[in-house]
Amino acid sequence: MITIPYLTAVSTYFSYGLLFAFGQLRDYSRLIFDWCSTNNLQGYAPICLAHEDFYIRRLYHRIQDCFNRPISSAPDSWVDVIERYSNDNNKTLKRTTKSTRCLNLGSYNYLGFGSFDEYCTPRVIESLKKFSASTCSSRVDAGTTSVHAELEECVAKYVGKPAAIVTGMGFATNSAIIPVLIGKGGLIISDSLNHTSIVNGARGSGATIRVFQHNTPAHLERVLKEQIAEGQPRTHRPWKKIIVVVEGIYSMEGEICQLPEIVSVCKKYKAYVYLDEAHSIGAIGKTGRGVCELLGVDTADVDIMMGTFTKSFGSCGGYIAGSKDLIQYLKYHCPAHLYATSISTPSAQQIISAIKVILGEDGSNRGAQKLARIRENGNFFRAELQKMGFEVLGDNDSPVMPIMLYNPAKIPAFSRECLRENVAVVVVGFPATPLLLARARICISASHSREDLIKALKVISKAGDLTGIKYFPAAPKKQEEEKDRMKLD
Amino acid sequence: MYVRALPTTDVNRNTEWFTYPGVWTTYIIILFFSWLLVLSVFHCSPGMAWTIVHLAHFTVTYHSFHWKKGTPFGDDQGIYNRLTWWEQIDNGKQLTRNRKFLTVVPIVLYLIASHTTDYQHPMLFLNTLAVFVMVVAKFPHMHKVRIFGINGDQ
Repeated sequence: MITIPYLTAVSTYFSYGLLFAFGQLRDYSRLIFDWCSTNNLQGYAPICLAHEDFYIRRLYHRIQDCFNRPISSAPDSWVDVIERYSNDNNKTLKRTTKSTRCLNLGSYNYLGFGSFDEYCTPRVIESLKKFSASTCSSRVDAGTTSVHAELEECVAKYVGKPAAIVTGMGFATNSAIIPVLIGKGGLIISDSLNHTSIVNGARGSGATIRVFQHNTPAHLERVLKEQIAEGQPRTHRPWKKIIVVVEGIYSMEGEICQLPEIVSVCKKYKAYVYLDEAHSIGAIGKTGRGVCELLGVDTADVDIMMGTFTKSFGSCGGYIAGSKDLIQYLKYHCPAHLYATSISTPSAQQIISAIKVILGEDGSNRGAQKLARIRENGNFFRAELQKMGFEVLGDNDSPVMPIMLYNPAKIPAFSRECLRENVAVVVVGFPATPLLLARARICISASHSREDLIKALKVISKAGDLTGIKYFPAAPKKQEEEKDRMKLD
Repeated sequence: MYVRALPTTDVNRNTEWFTYPGVWTTYIIILFFSWLLVLSVFHCSPGMAWTIVHLAHFTVTYHSFHWKKGTPFGDDQGIYNRLTWWEQIDNGKQLTRNRKFLTVVPIVLYLIASHTTDYQHPMLFLNTLAVFVMVVAKFPHMHKVRIFGINGDQ
C-alpha cells in the first residue's frame, strides 16, 4: 500500500502537466519549422506516427543519461560504469574510455553468482572447452547435450515438481509458452502489475484477458465469479480453460504474492495457477526454493511454475516446471523448444553448479551462508532506510526495495547525485510504473558486505536530503535520547 | 497529510493516472491559477479573464481529450490508435465518476464566465458555443462517433 503526501501528488501532476505542455509546444514549433524545409523521403511512410514516440522524444530523452548506463566489468557488488557525455542536451550520448568504480545496487545479483565463483566458474570454463559456446541448433535437432538433460532434472528436483523444460531466454519463456497453453475461448486472469513478458504472452495467445487488483485475493474471487457466470464474450458458452497468472516477487514493488489465499481461491473455482518466480527463485525461502517454501504452499497445488535463471543463478534462460504430461506436451508444441536455439551449454553448466552450491552439494555451506546473508542484508537495509524516513515498498525478506521518488524531476536528480558519489542505482519512471509513482529500485545482493551497505546508506541519505524524498518522519536515534536523558540528570 | 494510493486494474498507461488521488484537486488548482495569471498579464476585468480561461480550457481539453487519438508511447502496440483519450478512460465504461467530473467542470466554468461578464454579447456567444461543443462531445451516445468523418481514420 503506497501512502503519498497529498501535496506531493498535486505537485507531481502539475510537474508532468508542465512537461507535457512544453513537449507539445516544442512539437508545434518543430512542425512550423519543418513546413519550410522539404524532406527527401517522398513516398515513404513514416516509421512511427508522430504522437507515438512523444514520450520518448520529449520526456525520456531529456534524462537519458540516467538509463541504459554501459558497464565494463562483471556485475559484482562493485562495478565499472563507463562515463558518457553529451553535446546536444542528451539527445545523443558518447562513451569515453574512462570508467568509475561504483557500488552496484542495480543488478539482480541476489546470491552473488554474477562474478567469479570458486566452484561454478572452473566448471563453466571446462564445459566451454568441451562443448563450445553455442549448440548451434534447436533442442529437437542437435541441441540437446547431456548437460541439458541434467539441467532439466536438476531444476525439476530443486523446484519440487516431477519435470521441467528449459529455454534459452527468460522473457521468451513467458511469451512463447502462454500461447501454447491457452488459446481462443480461454480466460487469462492476471495480476494488474504483471511483467511485460506475461502481458505479451497473454495478448499473443488470443484468449480473453481480465485483470484483478494487485495482490488482492478478494478481488480475484469476485472477478472469477463474474467471469464464470458470464462465460465467453458474446456466446456465453463456458470457458474452455481459466489460468490465473501471478508472480512470486513483483519486481517493481518488492512485494511477495499472497500465494496461499490465491491458491485456495483458484482451487475453489477450478482455475489453473501459473506462478512466475523470476525474482523469487533462489532468493527467498530457507533453502532458496522460492515463494512456495517461504509461505508453506505445497508445490503440487501450483500447476505451472515458471522462473528465470538470470537473477539468482547468474546465467541466462528460463524454465517451466510442472507435471510430466504438461512438460511432454510442451516439448511437442512449444516453439521455444522446437525452433529456438537451445540454451548455451556453459550457461547450463553455470545453473547446475549454482544449484549445487545453493543446496550444499558441493561440499561446503556457502549456499546456506549466501541465503542467510541476503536475508540479513535485505532486512538491515530496509530497516535503516525506513528509520531515515524514506518510503520503502516491499515485504520483509524481499531483496528488492523500491524507494519512492514521485516527482519527475527527482528521478534524474537522485540518479545523478548517487552516481557522483559512486553508487549506481536504477531509477524507473512512467510508463514502466504508474505516472505518479516513480521510484528508485535497489536490489541487494549476498555479495554486499556490511561496509558496502553502510556506505550506500550514507550516500542515499545525502541524496535523499538534497532531493527531498524523506516523506515520512525519521525515527529518533536512540543515542540522542540517552544523551538528553543524561543531560537532564 | 497522506493519502493511500490503491493500485488500479486499468492496463492502459495513458489513462490510469487519472484514477489516482489528487487529480481533481490539481485540475481545479491549475484553472484557478491560470485565471490569476491571465488577470495579472492582461490587466483585464475578472469577467474577461474568466472568458479567456474558459476558451483556452476549451481549446486545450478539446484537443487533448477529443482530437488526439492513441497513446504517447509505443509499448501498447497501437491497440488504442483509433480511440481518443475520452473514449479510452475507464476502459470505455460510460457515466463513471471521472467522466461526470470532467463534464461538470466546463459547465461550471461557463456559468462563472457568463455571470462575471454579465451575459454581455460577444463573450456570451463564444462561451455558449464552447460549452455546447464540449458537452455534446462528452455524451455517452457520442462514444466512437465521428460526425461527417471529422477526425476519422484514413
